[in-house]
Amino acid sequence: MLVHRSTKRGAFAVAVAAVAALAVSALPAQAFSPRSEAGVTATTIKLGITVPLTGAAAPGYNKVPYGMKAYFDYVNDNGGVNGRKIQLVIKDDAYSPILAKSVTNDLILKDKVFALVGTLGTANNEATSKFVNDKGVPRLFVNTGFSGFANTKKYPTTYALFPSYYMEAKAIGGYLADKFAGKKVALIYQDDDFGIDALAGFAQVGTTFVAKIPYASGSQADPTVVGKWISTIVSSGADTAVVFGVSTATAAALGGAYKAGLAGKVQWILGSVGADPTTIKTLVPAALPLLNGAIATSFLPAAADTNDEYVKQFQEINTKYNKGATFDSNVLVGMNAGMLTVQALRAAGANPTRAKLMAALNTSGSKFASAGFAPLGWSKTSHVGYNGYWFGRLAADGSQTPVDGAGKYVLYTTDSSKGAVVKSAITRPAMPAKGLPTN
Amino acid sequence: MIIIDTLLIGLSSGAIYALMALALVLVWRSTRVVNFAQAGQAILSTYLGYEVMNRTHSYWISIPFAIVGGAAIAAFIDAVILRSLAKRSHKGSVSEIAPVIATLGLLGLIRSLTGMIWGNAYVQYISPLSGKGYMIGKHTIPFSPQNLIIVIGALLVMGIFATIFKFTNLGLALRAASFQPEISRLAGIRVDRIRTIGWAFAGAAGAVAGALVTPTTYLSPNSLDLLLVSGFVAAVIGGLDSLIGAVLGGLLLGVGFAFILQYIGASVTFSAAFIILIVVLFVRPRGILGSKVGRRDA
Amino acid sequence: MRKSKALSALTFLAIGLFLLGLSNFVDELRVYQGAQIAVYVIAISSIILLTGYSGQISLGHGALMAIGGYAAVLSYTYWHLPVLLAFTVGALAAALGGFILGMAAARLSGPYLAGTTLALAVGLPSLANQFHILGGEGGLSFDIGEAPKWIANKTGGDFTQYKWFFWVSTVCALVTIWFIKNLLQSRFGRTWRAVRGNPSAAALSGINIGRSKVLAFTVSSALAGLAGALLAMLLGLVAPMAFTLTLSFTLVTGAVLAGVTNLAGSIVGAVVLVVIPEITDVVATHLGGSEKITANLPGLITSVLLILTVIFAPNGPKLHIRKKVHN
Repeated sequence: MLVHRSTKRGAFAVAVAAVAALAVSALPAQAFSPRSEAGVTATTIKLGITVPLTGAAAPGYNKVPYGMKAYFDYVNDNGGVNGRKIQLVIKDDAYSPILAKSVTNDLILKDKVFALVGTLGTANNEATSKFVNDKGVPRLFVNTGFSGFANTKKYPTTYALFPSYYMEAKAIGGYLADKFAGKKVALIYQDDDFGIDALAGFAQVGTTFVAKIPYASGSQADPTVVGKWISTIVSSGADTAVVFGVSTATAAALGGAYKAGLAGKVQWILGSVGADPTTIKTLVPAALPLLNGAIATSFLPAAADTNDEYVKQFQEINTKYNKGATFDSNVLVGMNAGMLTVQALRAAGANPTRAKLMAALNTSGSKFASAGFAPLGWSKTSHVGYNGYWFGRLAADGSQTPVDGAGKYVLYTTDSSKGAVVKSAITRPAMPAKGLPTN
Repeated sequence: MIIIDTLLIGLSSGAIYALMALALVLVWRSTRVVNFAQAGQAILSTYLGYEVMNRTHSYWISIPFAIVGGAAIAAFIDAVILRSLAKRSHKGSVSEIAPVIATLGLLGLIRSLTGMIWGNAYVQYISPLSGKGYMIGKHTIPFSPQNLIIVIGALLVMGIFATIFKFTNLGLALRAASFQPEISRLAGIRVDRIRTIGWAFAGAAGAVAGALVTPTTYLSPNSLDLLLVSGFVAAVIGGLDSLIGAVLGGLLLGVGFAFILQYIGASVTFSAAFIILIVVLFVRPRGILGSKVGRRDA
Repeated sequence: MRKSKALSALTFLAIGLFLLGLSNFVDELRVYQGAQIAVYVIAISSIILLTGYSGQISLGHGALMAIGGYAAVLSYTYWHLPVLLAFTVGALAAALGGFILGMAAARLSGPYLAGTTLALAVGLPSLANQFHILGGEGGLSFDIGEAPKWIANKTGGDFTQYKWFFWVSTVCALVTIWFIKNLLQSRFGRTWRAVRGNPSAAALSGINIGRSKVLAFTVSSALAGLAGALLAMLLGLVAPMAFTLTLSFTLVTGAVLAGVTNLAGSIVGAVVLVVIPEITDVVATHLGGSEKITANLPGLITSVLLILTVIFAPNGPKLHIRKKVHN
């Protein structure tokens, strides 16, 4: 009978707690929403970004939003966009879809951002897609190489910037066929979508490997795992190795190869995701001897290339507006996306709306100036951004020179389906004066 | 040849797992707490070593600082947090789960602190030793001088602990306080202080693990996360109560891991620990060398 | 007894109607958070059932949630099951997983069980990458669609998908609590308490301890599976990254905040889990400081609160009242 009494108490407690819970929830986040477009006032435009600022995935990626913010601050100090200053709300998702979903809700419903820019991660962007679509929030330049996001039917407000992993694998495959015909090539890849997309891309262009070495994301921190990669490369007799992994995996592979005495015996080809020399050098100093001479896949100029007008300008902005941050490819990615965003906002006109912003990208986005060497493909029917890569030989100082010599950049462009890999010269729009768009 | 290579790879990671397992076992023996903060403590002490290295430019000088720092952090945690937790501890399920939560909270706290101080970035904590494997004839084995130091360091730590526990009064007190706290108290042993010393030893072992393994990978607030899981699994395999068990568990896990990766595939990395654990526990539910005394909940 | 059951059923119905009605008056952000709270209530209750009432520890409930989530999404996508049936499949799949794990668990004591479940939490979700049908790192998308017309039309106004999520998860949460409450009063509940209180005496009085523990693990897993399926609904996908070790730890934290032997406390625990990140974010934004500080401040505050709670109120908010009733 005592149990009986506790039950009633329990039910009562449930009721009280539930009401308390909802009372907290019932506090209105904002009573009235203004009639004008969300996130735009006479003097400001508010944008939002979700990235991992904490947790295992944070290092490196957490520099992207601050690079972007530094660029916006620079533009703001030079008059902003049509008199409006850009505010960037940065939210930490710790690389978890659960958190990404809640903070994106916050950005859209509470902060009422005009658009999302550079949101990171495949699963994280996927988790927020439905809501972002329903609300019609433009989601510019998602930071992932998942080819699906360029699908305008499924993700009508989403704009890809990076070429897909599939394209990258095809481009590397095309390059291998071009320059490494008859070589014995091994492949280290992450065994999730990132790597699986790549495998499909390689298969599409008919690249064959003497060894395919998968690894579970995160396992590269364990020396046992890296030891296994290298022993497989050695036993396969490969003379060329492609690393299609994140920077920690790329660094671990190079360090492990040095340990196993592979210096000078294997030509390394590094995928764009993990090929940032600044990060690699910090991660595994032992990787340095092998980094020197490795070939990196890239669609942007090297962050160390001060001869590049964009890089030079971005480095100046970084010094002034991003105090203390070392300029690396993450900062470059952030600033480059920032520059494209400013052009999109300008093209959306004096009274920007979300619809006008997307229309502007569809009609004139492909002509925007950016640091990328590959052309931009945005149109009414396609939301694919960059569509190609160039290959450069890395030096110990982090610089990257075109493999074809004489400073001549050769671009391997392709698509995310059955299209061929096409070699072309680079035609990049000149940088607007002082890096301030005038479109 | 591949078998020997795999064995060597497993041995040097196993030595690190063993150190982490040792740290967990020391804490378990002294306070019956599974210390999830151990990975955080090891990270913090490795960062201390990193700071010392930046100032002295010597990896070797930085190691003792990391070890002393690790011991001090652990002693502080036990004296300030675990003791007040124990004072208020209640009977029942909460008493088992509350310390777990407290140490998880500590792990989060330490991670956030290191992130605040050193940033969520990768930094270099470099050893002057070559990362290049030794040559045997024409074959480069996947075992570098740094790996040798890892194994030697782990053996040294284990040797020191074995000596202390077997041959000193302190060791006797530590064992007594862990197995018969009430009787020890009556016998005049200051159990609280002895337990804190147990924590300090554990902190030192974790610091050695962090300082030795980091030059082969990298340092960030989360870089030893994996090690926590491997260390815990190794400790459970060994039987949680036994120092020798922890060492054996670590080596078994390291070598088992290496062979699974070599012969089954790298994709099962994260499941491998689970598989090894289940196999061991199926045969011996209390680990290889676990004693019945460890069983408290029944 | 029957009368009290009817009364308590009415209470639940009233609470349910009240909550659903309330969803018309709060904005979308809060409605989503309400749905999140409901999902956490189920997940935390599953831990409370296991730890508080059967005396077993699990650090791997995130993995069981993953089983539930994947099973629900797969059956919804490939068998085209109605949503509620898909959720049931999720719960059953997790129950099966929990049954197998429980068989192992019954042989293990505290820390060994903690270790095994921890390894499971780390090992299982990453397996999704091994099987193409599970969608890899990007996961599988899961869109349960909008509320049926006959519900949406009756309530009038704009019936958003988040509101529908709130309705579904709130009903599931209430049914779950109702179910656990009745289960605890049944023969099984008494058996669990007897085993937890004094296993030797329970064994002497003819209770099969092993079977009782396995059953508790199975039921707890089924609830975790349901929570996982609902989480998949909220996220619109299942992906390995959604079911990390952090999730498992979060749930145990929620259970401790609730008081592990206090079923009603699961609501408190769930509210705290949802509200804390928001509060710490606001605090961090207001305090400002360098990037390093603002990024890590929320984690710091949460951790400190957690440690303080465990030291000063390890039994959750209400146990001291309820303890008297139990004795």
